[in-house]
Amino acid sequence: MLFFVLRRTAFAVVLLLLISAFTFWIFSALPADPAALTCGKNCRPEVIEANRARLGYDKPLVEQYAGYMKGIFAGRDYGDEASSVHCPAPSLGYSFDRHECVTTLVARTLPVTASLALGAFILWMVIGVGLGTVAALKRGRWPDRLATGFSVVGVSFPTFFIGLLAIMVFIIWTGLLPFPQYRGITEDPAKWFTSLILPWFVLAIVSAATYVRMTRNGMLEVMNEEFVRLGIAKGLSRRRLIVKYVMRAALVPIVTIAGLDFAFLLGGALVTESIFNLPGLGKLTLAAVVNSDLPILVATTLVAAVFIVVANAVVDVLYGYLDPRVRVK
Amino acid sequence: MRNLKRLSVAVIASAMLFGACGGGGGATSGEESGGRSAGFDGVKDGGTLYVLTSQEGVSTLDPQRVYTGAELGAWGSTFTRTLTTYKPVAGKDGTTLVPDMATDLGTASDDLKTWSFTMRDGILWEDGSEVTCGDIAYGVSRTFAAEVTAGEGPMYAVSYLDIPEGDSDFGSAYPGPWLADADQQALFDEAVSCDGKTITFKLKSPVADFNYTVGLLAFAPVPKAQDTADQYGLKPFSNGPFKVESYEEGSELVLVRNENWSKDSDEVREPRVDEIIWQFGLDEAVIDERMIADAGDDQNAIVYGGILPENLQTVFGDDNFKDRRTDGFDGFVSYTMFNVESVSCVEVRKAVWLALDREALRTAAGGPFTGEFAKSFVAPLLAADYAPAKLVDGLNEDGTPNVEAAKAMLEDAKTACPEVYAKATEDGLRFDHPDTDTWKKNIAIWIDSLGAAGIKIVDNPIEPSKYYATINGDRGDLMRAGWAADWANASTVIPELFGDGGGFNYHNNENDPAFADFQAKVDKAKAETDRAKQSSLWKELNQYVIDQVWSVPGSATKSQNLVGSNVRGGYQWLPFGWYNIGGIGLAG
Repeated sequence: MLFFVLRRTAFAVVLLLLISAFTFWIFSALPADPAALTCGKNCRPEVIEANRARLGYDKPLVEQYAGYMKGIFAGRDYGDEASSVHCPAPSLGYSFDRHECVTTLVARTLPVTASLALGAFILWMVIGVGLGTVAALKRGRWPDRLATGFSVVGVSFPTFFIGLLAIMVFIIWTGLLPFPQYRGITEDPAKWFTSLILPWFVLAIVSAATYVRMTRNGMLEVMNEEFVRLGIAKGLSRRRLIVKYVMRAALVPIVTIAGLDFAFLLGGALVTESIFNLPGLGKLTLAAVVNSDLPILVATTLVAAVFIVVANAVVDVLYGYLDPRVRVK
Repeated sequence: MRNLKRLSVAVIASAMLFGACGGGGGATSGEESGGRSAGFDGVKDGGTLYVLTSQEGVSTLDPQRVYTGAELGAWGSTFTRTLTTYKPVAGKDGTTLVPDMATDLGTASDDLKTWSFTMRDGILWEDGSEVTCGDIAYGVSRTFAAEVTAGEGPMYAVSYLDIPEGDSDFGSAYPGPWLADADQQALFDEAVSCDGKTITFKLKSPVADFNYTVGLLAFAPVPKAQDTADQYGLKPFSNGPFKVESYEEGSELVLVRNENWSKDSDEVREPRVDEIIWQFGLDEAVIDERMIADAGDDQNAIVYGGILPENLQTVFGDDNFKDRRTDGFDGFVSYTMFNVESVSCVEVRKAVWLALDREALRTAAGGPFTGEFAKSFVAPLLAADYAPAKLVDGLNEDGTPNVEAAKAMLEDAKTACPEVYAKATEDGLRFDHPDTDTWKKNIAIWIDSLGAAGIKIVDNPIEPSKYYATINGDRGDLMRAGWAADWANASTVIPELFGDGGGFNYHNNENDPAFADFQAKVDKAKAETDRAKQSSLWKELNQYVIDQVWSVPGSATKSQNLVGSNVRGGYQWLPFGWYNIGGIGLAG
């Protein structure tokens, strides 16, 4: 098992290096000129070129990448010597649009996204797996139809529609909730909760729909397996059979998808964060796209990639735990 | 650095000047002053004022970088004081210049090339230390630092102060406080000097209204010890009634009361609320719904960004909103510049104007709520210097094209200037514009309407962030732009847009036969100390430019706003085209 973990870690590091190089290259190839973006109203070609030199964008791409990677481990100074800004390690760059070290921005926005992702993940797993299980157990009856109908509605409406509808109904029309104004859980737990409750449910409704279907289908498939019939024949209680054997087997593909979905969400829920004005990683990324803020784009892409790669590794380990047939010796 | 959305505003942004504007109410565009919300009926001290906006942040809090009208007024009324400022009242009186940190409006030498201001006593920074003359001089010096201010703010310090031209990025011999050696710093110290509480500015040429110039935040003090260069805009040091508690783009800006500010040292500001919170990144549609619903904390809210076009009918068609809504000119005039060197034929320039479907352009932008067809490059709100000019003969009042008149003018051009005629009708006139969704629509209207008269347009979209840098080096035949005055004087319009050395003159008009006479009149107007005479000269010069058609005026633009029902003092502060946010109070 230890060897497996080490091998997965080494593979993840190599993968992340490749992703970082590719990300750096792809964003550098975009038509937006980061040096031009540092120039205001009184912009002159001389100012743009001077800024290009100050930001290091005049150097070869390989040299820029080497400087970027060095900054991650050793920190880096940005701008002219006399008026430079120092970003300590791990430096993911400096945003001359926001005038802040990118690591600071990521560290500030990540807890928001993590709060959103964790709550929504728990909700959608409970709703999705719960309804899917009920639908499978009550196959063909009204609970099944209700759960299936819910999943159709959930996957049919986009997040922004359900989000705006929730705002209109629960905030503007009925006034049941205040408009979300995010605060950290340690700073103001009540505001943290009220700012996240709607986004949690919106994300959960949209995402749970898929899990209802997956759980229902997975359980129905497993319930037709021979070992289940054997269990019934041997007199196992229905509850024990369902919880210990059917669900465990049905959850294997769900865990795989859930792990990746959760990691993807940690990379930023762009639409949900924007609609509910949550200052998370997704909103930061979206603003960086609009502003062509390349340092932020590179960093948020890398951070999202780290989550995906790590989640993949965790899922691999969990997969082996849940299904002994694929466990690594 | 700015984002593209901000850039599109900022490139044309400056302080805005207001005067009278006519019109009625109802659902059509016309003057609306804000009703009860503009006054102070039932106002109480304290409370939190909210500012809702779809923007991810403000353009900057750095005084030497800020150049949008609303923000100049907002920061000036809350945490950044200047030597002079505008009287914070509704109506035309709001354009009156008053002393702020200075004891009076300054003293000029006879030749108007030296200006001195003496500071009041008792002006303190937020840490309780005294604001010194040296802090003002240091603040002014920051404008020269291209590596920090990046040309985002006004450049009057560079163009006015008596410092030789040189090799800095802004073409000055002084590269700013970070990069200057002792000799270079001495050049600045010679131009801006302190003697106790008196600061003296030496200028290259006479400037009759330099006391307006120092009202810009670019001339505000900055304590050197607190200057964090590129990051100063994250936490600027306050000497006003509010201070910055926190600022996070994408989240919020919180201003709280500055306990070291004293009313005794400030005859201008009258703060009422305890706290001002800007909430960023809200959905525009949600903002409108919240403001229309007017519930909870939104009753204490104002909006930075206006009303969506689809909600204008709701707000202006219902008198229930009359005490909360405003509608008026925002101080901007949009226009299209000719490259006078490449289109050196006034007949062709007139034909372009006559053939243009201005009504179609206005409809595409949103209709009459967006503004009125401009009859001057000076905005109507700059009442003292504004006079509708006599436009080209044959131009339709309703903005529709006069194709016959355009064709007739082209016939004249055929004999008067055959080369330019051939360029306009055969090769085509290159039209430079930012590559935005708006301009993708607009350019189609230009091509179609001018094509009907036989004028060919060659579309040249430019990546928005590079637009002004590009036309600085390589100019087409036509280029779009917009402008608002920097202070209550057309000296920040006519010379800037059309004069020699004007910071925004892209017309290549220096070799036009009419230019020498024009420039002589500009110089005379700039040095004229009698304001009435000066106004008369600006009006003449505006007519001069209209007659030469160096540019085609577009629209005098308007904006509409809605405030919460508890807001008081929510009048449009004319010099800035937005609220005097530092003086807003709350009722209830």
